[in-house]
Amino acid sequence: MTVLVDFSVIAVLILGIRQFRQPAGARLGNWLAALALGCAFVLVLFRHGVDDVFTVLVALAAGAAAGYLLARLVDMIHMPAMVAFQHGAGGVAAFLVSLVELSRLGHGLGLIGEISGLLGLAIGALTFSGSMIASAKLAGRMRQAPQALPGHDGWVLLVLLALIAAGVASCFAPAALALALYVAVIALGAVLGVLVAMRIGGADMPVLISALNATAGVAASLCGMVIASQLLIAFGATVAASGSILTLVMCRAMNRKFRGVIMPRYTAASRPASPAVVTPDPASPAAAEPVPSSSPGGRSPATGEEVELGLAAEALAEAGTVILIPGYGMALAKAQQEVANLAATLVARGKTVRYAIHPVAGRMPGHMNVLLAEVGVDYEMLVEMETINEQFPVTDCAVVVGACDVVNPAAVEVEGTPISGMPILMAHLARRVVCCNFDRRPGYSGVANSLYLRDNVTVLEGDARHTVASLHERLLAGGGKSAPPSAPPAAEDPRRQAALALAGAKRVVIIPGYGMALAKAQFTLVKLASRLRQGGATVNYAIHPVAGRMPGHMNVLLAEAEVEYEDLLEMEEANPIFAETDVALVVGACDVVNPAAVEVEGTPISGMPILHADRARRVIVCNFDTRPGYSGVANPLYGYEKTIVLTGDARQTAGDLLAALDEV
Amino acid sequence: MSNILLMVAVFLGAFLIGYALISRVPPLLHTPLMSMTNAISAITILGALLLFAQPTSLVEKVLGGIAIFTATFNVVGGFAVTDRMLRLFRSRERQS
Repeated sequence: MTVLVDFSVIAVLILGIRQFRQPAGARLGNWLAALALGCAFVLVLFRHGVDDVFTVLVALAAGAAAGYLLARLVDMIHMPAMVAFQHGAGGVAAFLVSLVELSRLGHGLGLIGEISGLLGLAIGALTFSGSMIASAKLAGRMRQAPQALPGHDGWVLLVLLALIAAGVASCFAPAALALALYVAVIALGAVLGVLVAMRIGGADMPVLISALNATAGVAASLCGMVIASQLLIAFGATVAASGSILTLVMCRAMNRKFRGVIMPRYTAASRPASPAVVTPDPASPAAAEPVPSSSPGGRSPATGEEVELGLAAEALAEAGTVILIPGYGMALAKAQQEVANLAATLVARGKTVRYAIHPVAGRMPGHMNVLLAEVGVDYEMLVEMETINEQFPVTDCAVVVGACDVVNPAAVEVEGTPISGMPILMAHLARRVVCCNFDRRPGYSGVANSLYLRDNVTVLEGDARHTVASLHERLLAGGGKSAPPSAPPAAEDPRRQAALALAGAKRVVIIPGYGMALAKAQFTLVKLASRLRQGGATVNYAIHPVAGRMPGHMNVLLAEAEVEYEDLLEMEEANPIFAETDVALVVGACDVVNPAAVEVEGTPISGMPILHADRARRVIVCNFDTRPGYSGVANPLYGYEKTIVLTGDARQTAGDLLAALDEV
Repeated sequence: MSNILLMVAVFLGAFLIGYALISRVPPLLHTPLMSMTNAISAITILGALLLFAQPTSLVEKVLGGIAIFTATFNVVGGFAVTDRMLRLFRSRERQS
């Protein structure tokens, strides 16, 4: 009989989950699930009764009030943090129940019960601490960048072994000692959760949250094994299933292996610096030039200092991505402040700027890092050799300041020199190179630097402090041209161009990303969409599975802005449509529309499925800046001829577009 | 022993049925789905309640009370926030 009743309750739960196949029935499904839970609650009350009514009532009332209040107050953008926090609360309940049951019955539970209880302790604690870290990262109360301890994998293994040892020992220990060991299992489980979660960065959060969803379900099921309750086991199992599915979907959407996300091989320091997407710097400018679609190829060898300076400034003005390579010469000339100033201007113009640090640049390990840190350079812009070398082929301009041997292509191209085989910074692979070196003489190794002779290289000889400062001045005066261009004529205003493109479009697909959420641009965007519809255009939204910070995040944000869900297209539906789309409007999305994912091998995002905005007739990008997204891979989409890039706060940009539409 | 077999069978059965059903949930609803299943995982509230079915020591009262508090927080918050989200999803048909 009891089994029959239990199974009816489980059937109601399953019926509820089944309702989630369609948005229209989902609300009912949610209430059915709640009803199932309520029935289960009443059943337990009815069957077992409560001894201490007062404590139970107080705890129930307090928990319900807190839960309801938070559910009412939370913003849709903070939903991932909220869900993570709740996962944590579920984890606490799971390990506390297992703990009390274990302490009461101990070895009386039988081996299976004991093992379930111990696993419940560990997994519950891990869910709790991991969720707290995830929640703190998502709510911005913790740095989102992955953080790793020295020998991180070793620590993880050590804690895991200690946990297993404590668990095994508790099975054979006398009651008092066993209790201490249970507490140790909880503590070690919590440490494990922290170790795993801290190493996972902002954009990998969807995977972590989904995995924690699964572990919360497993913890509940294990708790059910301890108290031999079918209800707990079944309810927990459905949650575990849901969490596992979401984890798989997220990994597939990022072309990552679960193991690779949870135990990444890189450390925080060696990751390409690209946190700008997550934490926009308010000091950054609203306007910047679009990235050029091409850079001039062969040029006649120039003579004369002025001409060289002009060429160098032009190369910088046209570049979308710039890598600065400091060497000991920079330190000798005390040019680091000038270099940092130049970089600041480049960043202010929306360019991606990083410093490439060769391990032996300078006179001690990390010398360049110290010098640059001293003049206030953000250490996240400093990138190690192995990481940055992948970037040179997609870099528009490399600027060498007082470095010679470490950028000498002879090291990799010529056999038998003193530097042959030495790893170098592959500056020569950049589209253009500017060298601010004292002279063209060989460096310490005595090997002539073949870099100076290349076609795409401009050399500015002299004291680096002076040459970098003049380069900066020339750049500020208006790029390479001798006559600085005046304000661009109205016809070339990119906002107007974009508005014209939108006004003439019959089919528009909007691609929202987390940047849209950060800028709270969705409401303005919806106004823009309805304005376009009034003009007779079809407007859809294309949703990448990992856009945002948890599965389905964009859908919720757009639903909040009153977008009908029929207008939201999944990736598979959207991709065939792009070829016949007049305008793809990218708002705060970068990696998920980066064509490099399918066109270039060997990048961190290679093989990741993307939204093919690049196939639309025109592309309008409303992103904060043109820097790479979380992956650190530069986005070539920005450089396409058909692309109009509007940098700055997305809400502002969308508002400008709306205004410009009324004018055209 | 049959008890254990039943428990394992219940776990596997619920996992598989859940897996089959949840695989068909469109990505559109992934956030509400997770937030609802999150509320379901607080079924541990039953376990917490069971702790109070017999006389409790002070320590057990405190631990059990915390467990009930966090589980209720999870249940009520989870279902409420899911409902709030789902109310936002609107269809063109239903509007017109």
